[in-house]
Amino acid sequence: MVRWILFAQRCARRAAVCAMLAAGIANAQPATDAARDLPASNLSADDAQAGASRFLAAPGFARATVAVNPAAPGATPVGEKTCIACHQLESEHFTHTLHALGLHAASKADPSIPVCETCHGPGSAHARDPQQAGLIIGYTRTSGTPIAVQTKTCLTCHAGGARDHWLGSIHQRNELSCSDCHNPMAKFSGDGLLARRSIDETCAQCHKDVRVQFDRRSHMPLPEGKMSCVDCHNPHGSLTEPLLKTNTVNETCYQCHAEKRGPFLFEHAPVRDNCLTCHTPHGSNQHALLVAPVPFLCQQCHAQTGHPNELQTPNSLGNGRHPDERLMGRACLTCHAQIHGSNAPSGPKFHE
Amino acid sequence: MHRNVPALRRSLLTTALLATPLFAAADTGAGVDTWRASKLDPTAGAASATPDPRGTSWLSPGQRRSPGGMLYLCPAEPPDLTDAGDWAWYGNVQFGYLSTSGDDGNALWNRYVAWDSGLVLGLLQLSARRAADGSYADVRANRTSEDDAFFEAAFGRAGSYKVQAFLRELPNVLSHNAKPIWNGVGTNALTLPANLSPAGSTTEQVAAASAATPERTLKVTRSKQGVGFDMFLSPQWTVHANFSDEERNGARPFGGAFYYGFAFPDNAAVFETTKPIDDRTINLGAALRYAGPVWRMDFAYAGSFYRDRYTRYTYENPFALTPIVPGATSPPLVRGQFATEPDNGYHNLRATFTRKLPWNGEASLTASAGQMRQNDALIAPIDCTGTFGIDGDGSGVPGPNNPFLYSCAQWNTPAALSRPRADLAIDTTRVDARATLQPGERFTLRAGATFNRDDYRGTYLAYNPLTGDYGYITENGAAGSLVPGAVGTWNPLTSPSAIVRVRNLPLDRETTSANLGADFRASEHNTFGATASFKRDERTNRERERADTSSVKLTWINRALAGVTLRANATWLKRRGDDYVYDPYGFTYSTSLPGFVPPPDGVPSFTVDAMRKYDLADVDETKFDVMATLALAADMTLSATVRGDRNDYDAQIGRQRYDTLGATLQWEWQPSPATRASAYFGYDMSRLDLANVGDVNTTPDPTLGGANYPDSARWWSTDRQHNRNAGFTLDRSVGRWRFDAAWNALYARGITDFRFNSGSALAYFADSIGGIRDGAFPALKYRVDSVTVGATYAWSERWSVRVFDLVERGRIEDWHYFGFDAERAFGRRIYTDGGPEDYRANLIGVLVDVKL
Repeated sequence: MVRWILFAQRCARRAAVCAMLAAGIANAQPATDAARDLPASNLSADDAQAGASRFLAAPGFARATVAVNPAAPGATPVGEKTCIACHQLESEHFTHTLHALGLHAASKADPSIPVCETCHGPGSAHARDPQQAGLIIGYTRTSGTPIAVQTKTCLTCHAGGARDHWLGSIHQRNELSCSDCHNPMAKFSGDGLLARRSIDETCAQCHKDVRVQFDRRSHMPLPEGKMSCVDCHNPHGSLTEPLLKTNTVNETCYQCHAEKRGPFLFEHAPVRDNCLTCHTPHGSNQHALLVAPVPFLCQQCHAQTGHPNELQTPNSLGNGRHPDERLMGRACLTCHAQIHGSNAPSGPKFHE
Repeated sequence: MHRNVPALRRSLLTTALLATPLFAAADTGAGVDTWRASKLDPTAGAASATPDPRGTSWLSPGQRRSPGGMLYLCPAEPPDLTDAGDWAWYGNVQFGYLSTSGDDGNALWNRYVAWDSGLVLGLLQLSARRAADGSYADVRANRTSEDDAFFEAAFGRAGSYKVQAFLRELPNVLSHNAKPIWNGVGTNALTLPANLSPAGSTTEQVAAASAATPERTLKVTRSKQGVGFDMFLSPQWTVHANFSDEERNGARPFGGAFYYGFAFPDNAAVFETTKPIDDRTINLGAALRYAGPVWRMDFAYAGSFYRDRYTRYTYENPFALTPIVPGATSPPLVRGQFATEPDNGYHNLRATFTRKLPWNGEASLTASAGQMRQNDALIAPIDCTGTFGIDGDGSGVPGPNNPFLYSCAQWNTPAALSRPRADLAIDTTRVDARATLQPGERFTLRAGATFNRDDYRGTYLAYNPLTGDYGYITENGAAGSLVPGAVGTWNPLTSPSAIVRVRNLPLDRETTSANLGADFRASEHNTFGATASFKRDERTNRERERADTSSVKLTWINRALAGVTLRANATWLKRRGDDYVYDPYGFTYSTSLPGFVPPPDGVPSFTVDAMRKYDLADVDETKFDVMATLALAADMTLSATVRGDRNDYDAQIGRQRYDTLGATLQWEWQPSPATRASAYFGYDMSRLDLANVGDVNTTPDPTLGGANYPDSARWWSTDRQHNRNAGFTLDRSVGRWRFDAAWNALYARGITDFRFNSGSALAYFADSIGGIRDGAFPALKYRVDSVTVGATYAWSERWSVRVFDLVERGRIEDWHYFGFDAERAFGRRIYTDGGPEDYRANLIGVLVDVKL
């Protein structure tokens, strides 16, 4: 069965190539296709001036050039229409992406600006031998294009900004390609040209262990679609581990919890130091993303003379023999409610 | 006291929102607000799109795989465009009706959703494109319920500019069974109902009032709006700006200060009040970026401004206070108070310069500086009138003969403070340099160094110029009302031996770190990496001035086997430092003031000398992480992760060990555009060991095993958490029908057990009677089973209808709230929140989808 499928694939590919070459490439698609309206390029047709736009190319696309493919040094550009001759269905899906919109408009304004070959490199060698991997820059596992070439091609246009620290980042060092997370060939996600339907689903391809933590009792509103992994992390590389978007853990948290920023008249030292001293960010079965149940969470540090260092037993629960506020409900936080810091002059014990 | 956001500023903001081109930046490099969707469809429409039955390509069946080995999705059917002059547009609207039943008010069921029966706008999507110049406009909106909705709009020109705006309502239901005894929930003045007298009600009266209070929901809603702008100034230069304004409104369960209920059950009181949430945060961001062939530059500003409507909130105290001094009385204490979080402002400027180097390398230098600042007006030390404390001689007049009775007039005013405003700031500085060189195709060298510094600006001395006292009023006077000398003040003449807090705690920190690493591609399918890192943390006023952390990390990436991608890493980390000072906080206490007279038995030890706080203690850490992706067949993928982390802390008292171990397995199958299925299973556990010791005396001896902290009072606890997750999804199209099903389950179980040497370790000695030396708390359980089944019927190319049912059952047992279902008044302990509860809820929806 598999051999029959492979045979059918080979036939289909060869038939398409034959058709492309025989038909003179340019008119190989049905007139009803959206791709019919795509602009010509000076690389593939002689009607470039006829399609000239009244607009200048947008700056972001004005310098788009044919990508360099080290695996096909002698290849030359063939133009989008040639590509579409075989990749018609891909073109239909691609046409509705922001990349296509920008590249088509730019190509219409300046016919020297390529479309497909901006990302895939010159197509002539691939057109001659479509079965040979690597002759076109591909973004799949079996494309034959090294990951470094894939990412370098994307960064030709997308260098800097949020991707300023890609080189040396944990994802780069783990040999992720841009196309592990993005698939610009169609609109799979509402935003971001992602490979999956959302940012969270994209990250969960590899980080499922983190994603399931968000199903726990206390979590941030990620499963509810109200935020994403990228609110805190920059998957393209950052200066702060683990790929945080700000200089510190606390500054990341303050982006949504600005009331915790202070500084406070009376500070709780580990709180000022790092929110993760007490909280786990991706989900907890304790109240409020706490690492451990109170009062034991607090008793990891507090052995002061007085009451914080006493061991409570289940007899101190609300249904126990001697209910004790140090264990019930919010436990320590019932009295030390301002645990993130107090601005009350009478609040050094975070009581007020 | 109450802060109103000036009406003028609101007007200006509204005008700005209307006048500014609408848009809000979703940048992976800075800021939040990167995603807006609803729980009806967290993918913001992608999940409901119909897969193209033709697949991805005519040339090959099925889906290709990403470089990492995951199957790409089948693309959705291309939209049907409608021409409108130069523009073409498409869109769809999904509307219908939701019906909820069962325990549909439960807080866990409604977390961040606020489900409600009624009409809903599932999703509105409109997109317009002008092919001539690449212009576009997009609108997306949802309204699940009153507090759960969003609207976003964007327009721009691809490669030129983008303008975007959004509005969003985000609910956070915190309690569905709250029984606050006070009126005015959500305001800054909680008052008692008419049947309770402030400072004059009996325990029975308050318990009756609590029992009679109907349950209500406490929630906080975040309402946010934002605008943003991105633009190419040239092919190399871009500019970005964004602005957002968020208001939070509602109330949440909060503490209530008073005194030790466990020690003085008939005198003191403990409250769980409700805190009003009524604040606003404005965030600003802007960046100018250059990306050229050799140089890149990034100049950025981030600002954030928090404003709380209130500087404090008050609550009325129903109980009379009785001092422990026989025969003495206390004046009534009517109110308690809490300061709210102070208004604050944050600015940060950052510049990054990156230059390409020979050997396919890059060097980057980033410098940033910022400040967090607040200068809120400080509230008075106490809110009372007349006198407070202990009226020892019955005269009701403070004075030398009545030393524990105090005049409110000398403490209930900001004039009783050493200064009226906080005037505090933290200056932040960071410099980061890094370089990467790739001298050969197979070899990469990396190096980096970072300097980070937080300078704490501002000191506060707790001094009352009206009385000459240092310190504060403990527990809003309740302590002073109960125990002689426990009011919280020090005076060189009247209380020279009182040990009280008199200063704030500035927390400066400086971190210097460096790393050096290399990656070596041994073969086409094997890459090995190694990174050595060193970090030095220097802190002021902490137990350790210097902590050094060194680590080595090894990585391995393997793609040698067909269809398999394996990524593995292991890290060994060690933290050491200089001497650990168990009590560095003496300078913030009255013991540091001139004139302090040590008590006859000496200054009691603050804590045990063997305590090692885990954020500073010596630790040895070993962790590993393995990820594997396996192509089981052309249309099937199996991926797995295993990770573990072991931390051994060098602490006799404190955290001793924290280990985690977890594994996940997920399976995906896409045999055709019409069928897609997936399943996953995950398990993880954690173990946390801690040790502590009770105190049996109040001598200066801090030693473990000494007079204060004898070995007999030592105790240990272990907390073990186990989580199991599983799920399954199926999406199948048959003709005009499309069926979907999803099942998700979580079973979490936590056990906290303990052991102790003797009853001296316990809060209640009696719990050790009978030779008991160990025990465990009841299991803390959380179990959720959620099933969704849906069917979509397309009766034309434009119209379809989806019917679905979401059934969810949650079961939770949290021992913190044992007994709360029967009552919220435990003697003079009055609780508001009843805690999380089991639920079984059902959501049925009918959504009509129309392609516009």
